[in-house]
Amino acid sequence: MTPAPAREEPEDADGAAHVADLMPMLRRIVAARVGQHPAAEDIVQETLLRVLTAEDRIEPGMLEPYAITTVRNVIATMWRKQDRDARNQHRVHDPSEPEDAEELVVASEEQSAISVALSRLADRERQILLAHEVSGRATQSLADETGSTAGAVAAQLKRTRARMRVEYVLALEGVEPPTDRCRPVLLALSSADRRRQREVDAPRHLLECEVCARLSEPLMGRGPVRTDEIHVPIGADPDIVAARQAARELASRAGFTGTDLTMLATAVSEVARNIVRFASSGEVSIELLDRPRAGIRVVARDTGPGIGDLDRALEDGFSTYNGLGLGLPGSRRLMDEFDITSEPGQGTTVSMTKWIDRKG
Amino acid sequence: MDAHHDEELPPQDDQSPSGDMLLPQLVAHLREHRATLRDDWAQRIHDAHLLEAMTPQEMVAETTSVYDNYVEVLETGSVEALQHYARDLSERIIPRGVETHEVVGIVLLLRDVLARSLFEKYQGDVGLLNRVLDAYEPAANRIANTVAVSFVDERERVIRQQQDAIRELSTPVLPVRERLLILPIIGVLDSERAKQLTEQLLGGIRTHRAKVVVIDITGAPEVDEAVANHLVQTVDASRLMGASVIITGLSPTIAQTLVTIGVDLSKMNTIGDLQGGLEEAERLLGYKVTRKGVTDGS
Amino acid sequence: MNSGPALVSILRQGDTLVASVHTALDDSEMVRFQNDLVRQIGEYRARGVIIDVAALDVIDSFASRTLQTIADIARLRGAVTVIVGIQPEVAFAMVRLGMGMGEVATALDLEEGMAHLAGLRGSGARRE
Repeated sequence: MTPAPAREEPEDADGAAHVADLMPMLRRIVAARVGQHPAAEDIVQETLLRVLTAEDRIEPGMLEPYAITTVRNVIATMWRKQDRDARNQHRVHDPSEPEDAEELVVASEEQSAISVALSRLADRERQILLAHEVSGRATQSLADETGSTAGAVAAQLKRTRARMRVEYVLALEGVEPPTDRCRPVLLALSSADRRRQREVDAPRHLLECEVCARLSEPLMGRGPVRTDEIHVPIGADPDIVAARQAARELASRAGFTGTDLTMLATAVSEVARNIVRFASSGEVSIELLDRPRAGIRVVARDTGPGIGDLDRALEDGFSTYNGLGLGLPGSRRLMDEFDITSEPGQGTTVSMTKWIDRKG
Repeated sequence: MDAHHDEELPPQDDQSPSGDMLLPQLVAHLREHRATLRDDWAQRIHDAHLLEAMTPQEMVAETTSVYDNYVEVLETGSVEALQHYARDLSERIIPRGVETHEVVGIVLLLRDVLARSLFEKYQGDVGLLNRVLDAYEPAANRIANTVAVSFVDERERVIRQQQDAIRELSTPVLPVRERLLILPIIGVLDSERAKQLTEQLLGGIRTHRAKVVVIDITGAPEVDEAVANHLVQTVDASRLMGASVIITGLSPTIAQTLVTIGVDLSKMNTIGDLQGGLEEAERLLGYKVTRKGVTDGS
Repeated sequence: MNSGPALVSILRQGDTLVASVHTALDDSEMVRFQNDLVRQIGEYRARGVIIDVAALDVIDSFASRTLQTIADIARLRGAVTVIVGIQPEVAFAMVRLGMGMGEVATALDLEEGMAHLAGLRGSGARRE
């Protein structure tokens, strides 16, 4: 690979580098960029080869700069290729990266799941999706065709992609949603639409429905990571402490101070304990609010037996376990707003809010 | 400027490009006649009995400054400049006791003075006048709106600051002697203030290592049930920290409120006046060792 | 108590036991603490028990009730309990929640708790 022709090069005053003499420098450059990469030596050889091929055309004294430029190009080409491979691999194997049905469509391994999913879309949805993602039609041109606007088409595409992801995951897992509520919930999760998630009470459904709980994982994790919301699963005693500490931390970041923080943490402790005692499992979610005012909302959900007589449960002293029966009425006093719904056999949801003091 | 002949027919399409060109023109006009227009405006303010809290010198200074800023905002049209202008105006004007309607009033007057001047200048050419006013009015209204909103915000902020300051002052926890705190409550107790009072008192118990607290409510006219509740909770919380609480100056009205919300007054240590309360406090502090039973937690 | 840094320490000073809670306890840990303390009260024939809860940032209904239970059992065994170190915010939240310490004595801190027990003894008012 490193043959002899180098010596023919006319030796100009200084710096007329011999091609073979370039090797230490090239190795240094390559090492600095790719380290101990297995392809490092290949890059050096490839570069030398290119330099040799071009040697006739290189001005005297320009051999070194030429070699440096060449080695950079060779490295860059390798990176690009690797990068592309890595990205494609990621897309092929990871259905949780659902950015684009386009990628799903090209992934041959999940072809059948994709065709099933596509077949479950409405005709119109399928046409638009394929026209946009596969044929690369712009939203504007699709809009013109249907007498709609680009924005409306984009919104429809967004919804369709969300549906496509849901159907794809269902088909891939080979399951049918066990209840009527499953699809709306999965769709709300898939489209990362928080308002819709609240409307269909997605968190509660995920507690109740094992299938959706499993499917939700690849569907969620889209969009920006939320730093103003925490979900704490509640199953045992230590979770009570974890929930109230999480609440305190989030609230203090939001500007709650002193007694308000402690009142909040105490209320969270009480509702979390109710879950452990009566329902054995559930979750506490804590969410910062900025409308209508700055505050914090705590929602405790369980799938327990439910509370038969809510009015009594809210009376001081009422208790069905050996506590003092202060959990619910006490929490209500500690928070600014309090709401409870319960359905025997279905579970209980306690939702409570504390507003931050208006100041500064 | 001569392009006004075809104006009347398609006003919609023509408006915005010509508006862009007209604005600099009218700004130049307003700058040119600054002195006259400003005096005119000041006179109108005077006639409308606005800003009467200001001296004539202040009026000249303020109107000049407001006028220049106004024209500048018209010229740049930048929201930032506008908000800055509005905030600046509010900050300068609020300490002088100016009311919201006055601020809005003077800005509207200025708008009208300038509009009239534009009207006079362009009245010979109805088409052009319309376009000038079309360019001017939205900008002027935007200024008026922003100023009003900003003024109200700023005013609320100032009021809140003052309230906070007053609260700090009005709930002093006074360490009278070792282990003894007095908390005189003066003025109306709302929930906000009650809460602050509680935090100060409980924090004070810890810092001063207080054993006895005298809460004197002689100066508090009335409390609603929520605040009465809060008061009782504060007493209980003090006990949990190992301090006994004596309440003095309990008026019949407040006593009635306490009873209404189900407070057992016999469990509260209440003494008629502050003097008696202090004597009781001394007794508790000095008596502690020889007394049978425990004063706390009972 | 088991592995890791101690959540609670119980020290003996003469006939007084001083129990300090060092960190937030969950319900099971609270119950274990109760059992340990009650056992030691019996073992050492303690006359006074001081429980320092200054490290607790929340005393909810379960914690309050456990502390009161300890004090009740201690009383039956002839020991007086003083709870010390309840933080200002915690005290208020407890009251709001609807919990107090009932008849159990409370004091500002360890020193005050000791003084309280010494006062009781000095008065000689306690039955033997």
